[in-house]
Amino acid sequence: MKEKIRIFLDTDLLEKYLIGTISEEETQQVERYIAMYPKVRETYDELQANLETFAKMHAIKAPEGLKARILERIKAQNAGRRRFRRYAIAASIAAFVFAGSSYFFWDQSQGLIEENTIVNNKIRDLEEDMREQLEDVRNQFIVLNNPQTKKYVVKGNKKAEELKAVAYINPVKKLSYINVQNLPNLPENQCYQMWAEVNGEMVNLGVIKNVDDKDKLRPLPYAENAVSYITIEPMGGNDTPTVQNIVANISY
Amino acid sequence: MSTLLEKHIVELLQERNDKAISLLYEHYGDTLYGVAYKVVRDEELAQDVLQESFVKIWKKSDSYDASKAKLFTWLFRITRNTAIDKLRSVNTKSDKEIQIDVSDVYNLGVNSIRPEFMDVKENLDKIETKYQIVLDALFFQGMTQQEASDELDIPLGTIKSRLKIGLRELKKIYGNTMLLLPLISELWKDVMSPLF
Repeated sequence: MKEKIRIFLDTDLLEKYLIGTISEEETQQVERYIAMYPKVRETYDELQANLETFAKMHAIKAPEGLKARILERIKAQNAGRRRFRRYAIAASIAAFVFAGSSYFFWDQSQGLIEENTIVNNKIRDLEEDMREQLEDVRNQFIVLNNPQTKKYVVKGNKKAEELKAVAYINPVKKLSYINVQNLPNLPENQCYQMWAEVNGEMVNLGVIKNVDDKDKLRPLPYAENAVSYITIEPMGGNDTPTVQNIVANISY
Repeated sequence: MSTLLEKHIVELLQERNDKAISLLYEHYGDTLYGVAYKVVRDEELAQDVLQESFVKIWKKSDSYDASKAKLFTWLFRITRNTAIDKLRSVNTKSDKEIQIDVSDVYNLGVNSIRPEFMDVKENLDKIETKYQIVLDALFFQGMTQQEASDELDIPLGTIKSRLKIGLRELKKIYGNTMLLLPLISELWKDVMSPLF
């Protein structure tokens, strides 16, 4: 062990470590030796003391004003650091705000794009709806205004005496409409449903909703010698008409 | 030997109190200026080196580890390395060779020595030039013993023995100074206490 320490002390590594001219790897080796061997530690401490003494022997009076310049530089350095820190904080906040607002605007724009699509779709649907309704109204107009159109007043049977409806049939244009004017109230679990028997087949024309459909002309499928019926059915409508519940029929 | 003053300076450095720099300059400024001058051999360059070294000392103050080096050793390393870097950059600019002039070791004007170091300066005269040269090669030039042997044209064995004697002589000097240290630190305490 003593031999190992002697060899180490002979290498100059400790001296190089002392004055700081040593590689990172060698530094670790030297520090390990200093920590492990008191003899090395002692030699190192002696060298440190020697260095300080020897250096103090070579002290030279530094020029006047150098101290002030150094202190000024340190102060500037600190101020610079503080200023930098302030700028860094300001920049961070700015970046954060920018990122936040960017996200906010991006999110908003995404929302707007979505909304725009919905609105566009709605407009398209409305246009289509309008065109359909317009077509419908035009056809109704044609039917109603045509001199060949026949008007049938439909009245309910005993089961619904208050029922009043008007049917318009045009055999030339092969169009027919019905306008249900008045329907007697029904229990909540029942409804009126319209049917048409066309060429021997029963066609479901749908449920009549009392209030909404009052002024509406409902198209009827046209056929020679067709018969339309209004029946009372369970709420929600039925697949086939309940014959004993027929309240009105229109032959045309 | 870590004096009270050293401990105080280290504390201030770690607290990042710039009073530390003022105290460091008071205590080590001239010595470090001497170190810088030994390397760059030019007053203006030495002043630049000292300034840059103090800035580095301030910046690196977190990295000082009292268990690994005395405060002065740490200051010396920073100053010497800064001086060598300075010399390199100057030499790269002027494309000159680094001149190591060992004959300059003891060539110091007496009036350039601070009075506080007068006794040390007197002690320096007690060490024979031949030992000083070897010490200088070791501490300031950063030469290995082999390099010193080559550079000074002195056999390696002689270098080794001169170094041994030189170090022993130095030890005698700081050994004496150390007797004064408790006194000095007491004095410092009195001087500094109003500031603490």
